[in-house]
Amino acid sequence: MSAFKNRPKLFVWMAILLLGMAAGAAGVIHVLIVGHAQSYNVTREIPWGLLIATYVFLVVSSTGLCLISSLGHVFGMKQFEFIGKRAILLAILTLLCGFGAIGMEINHPIRMGIYTILSPNFSSAIWWMGTLYGVYLMFLCAEFYFLMKGMHKGAFTMGVLGFTAAVSAHSNLGAVFGLLEARPFWHGSFLPIYFIVSALVSGCALIGMIVYFNHKKSGAPMPLKYADFMDTLGRLQILTLMTLVFFVVWKIIPGIYGHPPEKYEATMSMISGPFAFNFWFFEVLMGLVIPLCILFPKKTRTPTGVMFAGLSSTIGIFFMRYDLVIIGQLVSMREGTAELVNGLLQYTPSLSELGITIGAICTCLFLYTVAERLLPLDPEEH
Amino acid sequence: MKNKRFAIVLDTERCIDCKACTVACKAENDVPLGPNNYRNWVVASKLRGKYPNLGQSYTPSQCQHCSNAPCEHVCPTRATFTSSDGIVDVKEEKCIGCKYCQTACPYNARYYNEETGAIDKCTFCAQRIYAVPPRLPACVDTCPTKVRAFGDLNDPNSEVSLLLARNPSKVLKPAMGTNPHLFYLD
Repeated sequence: MSAFKNRPKLFVWMAILLLGMAAGAAGVIHVLIVGHAQSYNVTREIPWGLLIATYVFLVVSSTGLCLISSLGHVFGMKQFEFIGKRAILLAILTLLCGFGAIGMEINHPIRMGIYTILSPNFSSAIWWMGTLYGVYLMFLCAEFYFLMKGMHKGAFTMGVLGFTAAVSAHSNLGAVFGLLEARPFWHGSFLPIYFIVSALVSGCALIGMIVYFNHKKSGAPMPLKYADFMDTLGRLQILTLMTLVFFVVWKIIPGIYGHPPEKYEATMSMISGPFAFNFWFFEVLMGLVIPLCILFPKKTRTPTGVMFAGLSSTIGIFFMRYDLVIIGQLVSMREGTAELVNGLLQYTPSLSELGITIGAICTCLFLYTVAERLLPLDPEEH
Repeated sequence: MKNKRFAIVLDTERCIDCKACTVACKAENDVPLGPNNYRNWVVASKLRGKYPNLGQSYTPSQCQHCSNAPCEHVCPTRATFTSSDGIVDVKEEKCIGCKYCQTACPYNARYYNEETGAIDKCTFCAQRIYAVPPRLPACVDTCPTKVRAFGDLNDPNSEVSLLLARNPSKVLKPAMGTNPHLFYLD
């Protein structure tokens, strides 16, 4: 307990994370005992639920961290170099926890390990996504190793490879949804591109929080160099958020213009239907409007402001993932399906699904908090 | 020997929505209990007209055994495959339960069978049609009004070939480009 001496905030933080992990463990144990069908609220018509959304959220975070941190050690923007180790470490942890969430969603993770190698299907976007994310994880680990050892050449090479793998894997994740002709809300080339853009928003948001809390814990005021960085990051975040606004607008307009069958019903479910609160409150207000209102005025674009903007958009982005995954499945594949409300199918996550989601996110934060204390993550002074 | 191309032709005018096909299928194929678990179904259309002049149609269906099957394209481990006779089937031991095929199928023809631990779907009752002597699929056999006819499209004299030669027909969701092998007589 000596680590917590004089650190009541750290104690509370760790206690909250451990509680979250306990909720996750309870969910996992429940699934292992009673099985997927009894634990999850996914159905034959909505087979992908909250855990897939959590997976998407976590791997988008990972991709975003990798892409934004590569501005420093790959693209040579000096201001971004100092975040490298922390960003790559959190990219590894978010990716692993994302794998954990999807591992709990699919029924046979062990078979997956065997048959994706023995019987691969190269026309399957999931096969490509899984394989590319596996490769991406290896590059991230190698990059982190080189960064920790101060081997810049190796870190640069792995950074380039990691960047390439991140873009490939992540656009493939978009393609997992985008290649489904049966689901007009998802189908098309929009999602692979949108996923990359939204990853940049996630990356900026998380890096803002990492830098802020890292200095907060030291108790010392933030050095000018880092305060300047937060200002630059805030301005970069304005750019990524505005790009995302553009994407959100152009997702909606083709979804309602001329009432395209199935796409219209799905789009309207988030404009004025059962997903309207998620969309307007979480996605638009918390995800886009509040962060932009904080970041635009120079007066509020302080390190604290950039952190709050990041937190707000991260919460918003979680709901973007959830809404994207569920809304794409709301329209029944068959006319006349019974028990439809307003012509749409319904899904509410079960307690196990919620527990595992909370557990996955808390595990990620817990591991990061521990690593922050055990590893020398501060940049070397040149 | 020449391969077969199995198909079902349906005359929905005859359907009385008794759902005997669903019950027979569940019994024949050990489909577990539960609202998500079925290999075939009957869709009842909305009521047409105003009382007392009302009408309603019923459309029985199941896996369409598409020759361009989205479920097969998306399966990461090739657990879903098309047999040489055109039956879209699942190798249970390879199914990882990712449910990608469920999201890809435009007909919602698949469900996850907790008892077999794999995705399950219509196989045209392969255990019956390849038996000696061959038997009809359970849904075809049991139907009291003979909505469905089953047979080999590669045989020009089979019942299904003759029905399709003599009558105009359509398939479900043709715009999906899946090339289904369940044909509905007009």
